[in-house]
Amino acid sequence: MLEKGKISASQMGMMLFLAVVASGVMSIPGITGKYAHNDLWLSPIWAALMGTVTVWIAHRLHCMYPEKTSVQYSEEVVGKVAGKAIGFLFIFFYLHLSGFVVRSYAEFIVQNFLHKTPISVVIITMIFVCTWAVRAGIEVIGRTAQLFFPVFLIPVLFIPLLLNNMKLDYLFPMLEHGLVPSIKGALVPGGWLSEMFLLSFLLPYVRNQEKGKSSALYAVIGVTLLLTMINFFILFVLGKQIGDFLFPVMVAFRYISVAEFFENMESLVMAIWILGMFVKISIFYYVTVLGASQWFRMSDYRSLVLPIGFFVGLFSFWSFPNFNTGLYFDIYAFPFYGPLIQTVLPLFLLIIAALRKKGQSQNQNLTAAKHK
Amino acid sequence: MRWGVVLSMTVLAVVLIGYEWPRLKKQPRKDKLVFLSLILIAWTLSLFDLPNIPGPTTMVQTLFKPFAILLE
Repeated sequence: MLEKGKISASQMGMMLFLAVVASGVMSIPGITGKYAHNDLWLSPIWAALMGTVTVWIAHRLHCMYPEKTSVQYSEEVVGKVAGKAIGFLFIFFYLHLSGFVVRSYAEFIVQNFLHKTPISVVIITMIFVCTWAVRAGIEVIGRTAQLFFPVFLIPVLFIPLLLNNMKLDYLFPMLEHGLVPSIKGALVPGGWLSEMFLLSFLLPYVRNQEKGKSSALYAVIGVTLLLTMINFFILFVLGKQIGDFLFPVMVAFRYISVAEFFENMESLVMAIWILGMFVKISIFYYVTVLGASQWFRMSDYRSLVLPIGFFVGLFSFWSFPNFNTGLYFDIYAFPFYGPLIQTVLPLFLLIIAALRKKGQSQNQNLTAAKHK
Repeated sequence: MRWGVVLSMTVLAVVLIGYEWPRLKKQPRKDKLVFLSLILIAWTLSLFDLPNIPGPTTMVQTLFKPFAILLE
């Protein structure tokens, strides 16, 4: 095994939670709001279906091939050449996403807070920090996630400060145009929730295997709850204008002003959000490095950390040339691309693997019958 | 040509190799080969004007254009 560290199931759950929600909580509500308008609170619940299905598929595959990640077992399922191709697809997908996530993080920081900082500085510092986390291995990322998880939830405590500005009327009319708008709005969070497939890279290193599935499902539930709550919150504060903002959550937090003393909470929210993004980027980066080193059958994944870091930096410019392209990708391509690679492709692997196992056991039965 | 970028990327590649080499020395030959070729590929990529040439995102967007109509 390349990675000798072990994490606990609850650490894995927190890693998955932060990996999905860290970037999602800022960019999903605005996009969902464009389609679902005042029904946007319903969309994460539809999207949770995608997360649950992905967790189920990844866990079933893990049960068939324990101690192997998806890059390794795809070779066993569909043969060497096709397996290598699928493994390459996974690695390329996560490399592409790592670069994309780093860039969208940097764009967010530069647009909202550090207007005069060159974007490459924000990107390079983040990759630099993440390189250290990834080199330290899965245990360190797991513990970082455990440490930052409660901190990441602190902004939720600020929500009651805006109770005075909230209007429950914005909730109505409910389902004015039927369920379709809320389902359309669910496609984008659905893409995000399909990232639960990261599970297949983490499960082999979980100490208490029997709890792996349930803690991944808890992560899905946690993501759904947080997104629903945030959506309710911005709906009550901003009303029908949600779709007009790119980052409605930041706008809503800017409203907070208690006794002219508690103000500019958004800077604190951003500082906390960066912690979550750090965990998210580290996990994506780690999965790319681990997958690549298994693909090349190397003896130590640490040798690949620096080259892949170089690649992540390049991809953050290559895969995200400007803000509009990035936004377009998030809205129109990722809701299909993400689930295709992370849910549909594994589903095919699962079906083939199940058929193979069945064929094997039938063969054994036949030979056993002949010997009788 | 943007010589500043080329120079800084070359320096970065050299620094990465220099930093990793003492540890990499003990690893099998294959590891060294993969490490060096990845750095070389990354360095070559960095010579292009990446934001302005079609990349993975453009490819994916073209592939999924038919589905995008669903959302418009």
